[in-house]
Amino acid sequence: MRSGRPDRMRSLGAAIASLPILIVGFASISLGAALVGETKQVTLQQKAPSGVDALKALYRRPSTIPFPKDNPYTPEKAALGKKLYFDTRLSVTSAQSCASCHSPSYGWADGLDVGVGHGMHKLGRHSPTVVNSAWGAIFMWDGRLATLEEQALGPIQSSGEMNMPLDHLMQRLAAIPEYKPMFANLFPKQGMTPQTLAEAIATYERTIVSERAPFDGWIDGDEKAISEAAKRGFALFNGKAQCAACHEGWNFTNDGFQDIGLSSTDIGRGAYAPGVIKMQHAFKTPGLREIGRRAPYMHDGSLATLEQVVDHYDGGGVDRPSRSDLMHPLGLTAQEKSDLVAFLNSLSSNLTPTAAPVLPR
Amino acid sequence: MLRSRTILGLAIIAGFSTGALAATQVIHQQGRAFSEQSITVKKGEALTFLNDDTIPHNIMSTSQGNEFNLGSQPPGSSTDVSFKEAGDVAVICAIHPRMKMAVKVVD
Repeated sequence: MRSGRPDRMRSLGAAIASLPILIVGFASISLGAALVGETKQVTLQQKAPSGVDALKALYRRPSTIPFPKDNPYTPEKAALGKKLYFDTRLSVTSAQSCASCHSPSYGWADGLDVGVGHGMHKLGRHSPTVVNSAWGAIFMWDGRLATLEEQALGPIQSSGEMNMPLDHLMQRLAAIPEYKPMFANLFPKQGMTPQTLAEAIATYERTIVSERAPFDGWIDGDEKAISEAAKRGFALFNGKAQCAACHEGWNFTNDGFQDIGLSSTDIGRGAYAPGVIKMQHAFKTPGLREIGRRAPYMHDGSLATLEQVVDHYDGGGVDRPSRSDLMHPLGLTAQEKSDLVAFLNSLSSNLTPTAAPVLPR
Repeated sequence: MLRSRTILGLAIIAGFSTGALAATQVIHQQGRAFSEQSITVKKGEALTFLNDDTIPHNIMSTSQGNEFNLGSQPPGSSTDVSFKEAGDVAVICAIHPRMKMAVKVVD
């Protein structure tokens, strides 16, 4: 799983690199500079509904992890990244590590409604899992960071989270004798810098991949791998309930931003897209792998169970201009809701225990 | 007589507008992807953004001088955009971060 890079990923990377501007947030928009014509209705050819085999093919696990060209995988870099990920000395208090909020014990999140940061203060949003972040197109609930390398440095410096200025962190790590030769071997030109620290942590995070779940057994042809209820749930997920309009592909997300009508004052992506109506209250669509281990749910941790999540979508959420056009009451029956939950529960694996690393002294 | 002239007039306008539409370059959005990663258009020439995908998209640009925002564009709709300033324009879907394309606007 840890080498190689599918062609699709390579061409995607090339496409992004070729753009002159990589847009993460949005500049303020003064509309009207380009001329926009009237919108016309166009009759599209109706595609025949996909059979279950064609649908299942869309959910097959990839065989390799994509690593970026400018930060390729090596086992030594991932091993250093793992030590840094679990090292509480990366926080100003030496009490919190990346793993405090993104813990293997809770599906690589923290099991809390919202994260708890520096000084035991509650944060505004639910800690997202780092599972399958190698496939992420953009990072944070509001998409404000473009790469996993940038993401790795975000919470370390954030005053509400680990509250650690990078120059202070570099001084602290430099005083730990066993770290220095590790960085020197892996990064002979740069040595220990915020950038190399971020590259090591991101490399480790990319190796955190959801393991084979019962659902994968069914995708590969074992009809007994999941229950009949879960199979009906899969059909609903792709059909009447329309979940797959956003939770698509093997990791069950297209990384899109949607306002799903949760009643909250947090405008999410809207802070980076002033004037774009559909981005107000919009948050990044999370993947659904290991979802059974990651309660509570949603960007604000406001729903305790998968049953409540399905109820929320069934109701359609708060109807407001920013709400996604995909959100509307679904009219699901009790049986259909229960089938959807059975399907969602088939996406969790028996995660192999993660051994905590011995840290440099 | 007047009625038939009006109909003829409408037919001519419709004919012209169909011709103009055919001449523009069309960007498709099937499968949450732009059909082109980069394209060159002349200043003032229309580019047609056709949502032939199964879900809404929100095509826009914040590139200076050529800003636009189509808002939520439902499947089965098409909108023309013509750019007023020569230069590089980064076009994105606000909803789907993998949807990016570059438009080169030339004089």
